[in-house]
Amino acid sequence: MNSYLSTVFSKVGSLLATLLVISLIIFSLVELMPGDVAQMILGQSATEDSLRELRQARGLDDPFFTRYGRWIAGVVRGDLGDSIYMQGVPISSILWRKVGHSLFLALTAFIIFVPVSIVLGVIAGVKEKKAADSIISFTGLATMALPEFVSGVILISIFAVRLKWLPIVSVIPIGQTLFQNLDILVLPALSITFVMFGYVSRMQRSSMIIVMNSDYIKAARLKGLPERYIIFRHALRNALLPTITIIGMNMGWLFGGLIVVETLFGFPGMGSLLMTAIKTRDVPLIEACVLLITVIFALSTMTTDLLYGYLNPRIRFKGGQR
Amino acid sequence: MKYVLYQLKRHPLAIIAILVILGWIFLAFAGPSFLAYTYTQMDSTFQMAPPGVNNHLLGTDALGRDILSRIIVGSRSILTVALFTSILSTILGILLGFSAGYFGKAFDTLFLRSMDILMSIPPLVLSMVVLGILGDSTIASLTLIVSIAFIPATARVSRGVLLSEKSQEYVQAARIRGESHVYIMFAEILPNTVGPIIVEATARFAYSIMMVASLGFLGVGLQPPTPDWGMMVIENRPIIADAPWTVLFPALAIASLVIAISIFSDFISKVLIHER
Amino acid sequence: MKKIAVLLVVALLFTTLLFAGGAAEQESTKKSLRVATQVPGLITMGIWDGQAFALNASIYEYLIEIDANTGELVPVLATDWETEDGKTWIFNLRKGVTFHDGSAFTAEDVKYTIERTQDPEVGHLKKNDFAAVERVEIIDDYTIALHLEKALPTFIYLFTDYNMGILSSEYDYATKGEMNPMGTGPFILKEIIPKESAYLVKNESYWDPELPKVDELLLYFVGDIDASVSMLESGEVDIVPQISPIIKKRLDQQEGVTVVSPYQENRFIALVQDREPFNDNRVRLAFKYTMDPQVIARSVAQMELNEGVFYNESFILNEQAEYLDIPFRGRDIEKAKELLAEAGYPDGLSVDLYYASDHPYGKELSQTIKELSAEAGFELNLKGFTRDVYLSQYWLNVPMCITGWGARVDVSMLLSYAYHSEGPWNESHMNNPKVDELIDKIKAEVDYDTRLGYYHELQRIFFEEGTVINVQVPYLVALSDKVIDYRQPLTMLPQYKYTDIK
Repeated sequence: MNSYLSTVFSKVGSLLATLLVISLIIFSLVELMPGDVAQMILGQSATEDSLRELRQARGLDDPFFTRYGRWIAGVVRGDLGDSIYMQGVPISSILWRKVGHSLFLALTAFIIFVPVSIVLGVIAGVKEKKAADSIISFTGLATMALPEFVSGVILISIFAVRLKWLPIVSVIPIGQTLFQNLDILVLPALSITFVMFGYVSRMQRSSMIIVMNSDYIKAARLKGLPERYIIFRHALRNALLPTITIIGMNMGWLFGGLIVVETLFGFPGMGSLLMTAIKTRDVPLIEACVLLITVIFALSTMTTDLLYGYLNPRIRFKGGQR
Repeated sequence: MKYVLYQLKRHPLAIIAILVILGWIFLAFAGPSFLAYTYTQMDSTFQMAPPGVNNHLLGTDALGRDILSRIIVGSRSILTVALFTSILSTILGILLGFSAGYFGKAFDTLFLRSMDILMSIPPLVLSMVVLGILGDSTIASLTLIVSIAFIPATARVSRGVLLSEKSQEYVQAARIRGESHVYIMFAEILPNTVGPIIVEATARFAYSIMMVASLGFLGVGLQPPTPDWGMMVIENRPIIADAPWTVLFPALAIASLVIAISIFSDFISKVLIHER
Repeated sequence: MKKIAVLLVVALLFTTLLFAGGAAEQESTKKSLRVATQVPGLITMGIWDGQAFALNASIYEYLIEIDANTGELVPVLATDWETEDGKTWIFNLRKGVTFHDGSAFTAEDVKYTIERTQDPEVGHLKKNDFAAVERVEIIDDYTIALHLEKALPTFIYLFTDYNMGILSSEYDYATKGEMNPMGTGPFILKEIIPKESAYLVKNESYWDPELPKVDELLLYFVGDIDASVSMLESGEVDIVPQISPIIKKRLDQQEGVTVVSPYQENRFIALVQDREPFNDNRVRLAFKYTMDPQVIARSVAQMELNEGVFYNESFILNEQAEYLDIPFRGRDIEKAKELLAEAGYPDGLSVDLYYASDHPYGKELSQTIKELSAEAGFELNLKGFTRDVYLSQYWLNVPMCITGWGARVDVSMLLSYAYHSEGPWNESHMNNPKVDELIDKIKAEVDYDTRLGYYHELQRIFFEEGTVINVQVPYLVALSDKVIDYRQPLTMLPQYKYTDIK
């Protein structure tokens, strides 16, 4: 177990190193953007003097690495700077609430697609080449090909416009929290689910097929164990591993999907905040959002890797290099 | 070849997929020249017309523009970007992945580290931020940025296949003969790895289409009035209740292309992998 | 196997329905008015550019307002006013009015508000207009006299303009104007989340005990018209001020929603005069020759020309009294090409057109004129941004743009803003001494007919060498049927104090 722990530590270490490099890349990219920050804050009618004053006060004319250092020092302290677009409001005060919303949305999507994909993937794999398999496989293929905004639009027109069961726009009324308005989560989460379902169920299906044909399972059958027992106690455990890998590999797409879905539904999360930041060229906000997304994404990939390492007995007990 | 045809017969779905892809390529090339309307013409008396009205085979949108023309012209840009992206990202992937696998050690470590870094930002986020910062997107900038975002995936595959070939006899033989590294990598190894690389490239093609459509939806794709399929879906969303065809057809276009390419990709991998 | 699948699907359905039913029910006896407006830019009084009407019209008040139905001047903070020669204006102010912070409203505050327009650090949009005030004389706490350097007969209208909300002389608007605005208005700002929402409550000490009619005002800042309308249709808001004609068509067939049109608005297509390509009047004329008002009317608003949509090459609404009906020059592509060739663009030219993508008619108008002008060789590159970004980052610095402008009760106010060479919002960078001279004359002229003559002359100059094309469109507001007495005069300031809800 010790060597496993050391793997964890080394992973965390390389994560931090990666983040540092990423932050530098993000910072340079965004600072290269054309446009006068001072003018954006004060508006069109600002006088030359007030612009100059503002630039000095915020240190906008300082050399590149000074500004970078200042930003990083702030981030470590927890201060993400002030938003330009939102009239100097500290970013930390807006960001965390939205991060919470996005994580909740992602979690909801997870809770839906993971069990559904696995179960349907198992069914498809076990009933290979039969009717159930064809239906499930084709559905998976079809939904995989629909980018989230397409499935989102279709869901909106059916469930929100026609049937009026759910709201069209995901707005939280003034003074309320997300928890009082859980219905705004449903359609966005479903849109994300569609794409992920395709990938995960297909992978689950093929790994189920491989495992079901293995000697180990054939032996279990010969022993006379009931089919259901074989599927759940033996086959599934082994077939699950590649699925976890696939989920991990598609995390990147999940994050992208989150942004698309939040923009489509107007969901008040980190994705739509990033969109706003880019559209309004709010430099500090872009930097903060991208940094945060990167951190969360890196953490989730690392978690998936570790989970895989833990579950895969070959890795866990040998403790060797992957 | 015979083997390919044999397999084709067993997979009718793949035949349909290939036909769909060829169909789109044909439409993209031929363009809307044989149609009654250009893609920007505004038929102001027939706005939001259903399919079939006034020679508009797929109807018109809110400004009276012919949906079919816009879809066909849109197919040009999306196919071009997706094609170039998959080619470019594959080439870059081969260059980087092969070098890393072949030269090993420091090179490889550097490669793996850089890929780690590049992979820490989700590809859509990376593309969106860079394109948003750059301002207006052109076919060139879209291709370049999305290719860069895809490099970790293609390079990983290339590196993987190179590693599995590296220890083969013919490679040792070429080394003994004194061939240059470049020759060994590209004249000896590459031809033997064509299978998996092509499979990966076709998968990239499908991903590119989805990526470009999503970027169009987010507003960092090609600017109006250039008909970007993603943009068409989103700009017609408000009239989906009155004129569902304005959203349905671009969505079907995206879906049909991606599904066809995915099926084709699956089929190719079956064929090429069995060949080994 | 099948059992499990069925169980799963049932569980999913159940959870979905649970979520769907779990939306919070608003149980209260308070009357709330909920509005989905566009995202405001700056909101400090004096420099805000017009996105924050709903917010500022409720927090601040003006000396005078316009009656939404009759167009007459209505006393608010000024109970009456008089002038003998148009050079000295005396105002009697309302007694017993307090600011939201409790301080009393007196003549001192009016003096402060007027003198602030001249403060170089503020960058007040009415600086030029109020430069004519030589001296402000406080006669007593509730009487004030303004001495102008020359007679300006229409001076009084300046006080109805949205940037002349009365401010407290004791409040620090420089630092608090954005996050804690404060005035004497019918609603007090309780909470504001920048670019997201604002929550206002009834001002219990408002000077008119009958007003406002509702207890709270909830403003949602939504950058997407369709999203706003979705909120209206699902009952989350009651008013959406700013919708497009396509949406109107759909809402007309819907129960529970009405669309009203309080006034007409301008859409100025500015052909900027001090840079290429429109610095050459031949290019401007060439562009004008490619326009087809009938096609524009249909494409942009699904209406026929002169039945809701109007067109001219000037700064004024066709329906205003000072309008001169100059016959349309007619679409002439050959002439346009000729002019372009003369000006040095025989193969056409390309220019960037900027506009606000979330403002009604913006997208449609830009795409329509792009299409129309393409025939003569104009290649317009469309650059759309949300309105607050468009106005704060691009609007005054681009070669060509489309901007929505409200009309003004007194047309000379708009002229001062936008077409005088020193106007703060001179988007087309017009710099024509004849125009400047006429504008100054108009402001000082007492005789109505002479003034009318100047207006006509100005419009002729605009036709020959002007920098603007004006497409006039209806300003549309969508209301839930629960809303009673929605008022919005030509000043664009919605008067929510009168509005009630069932």
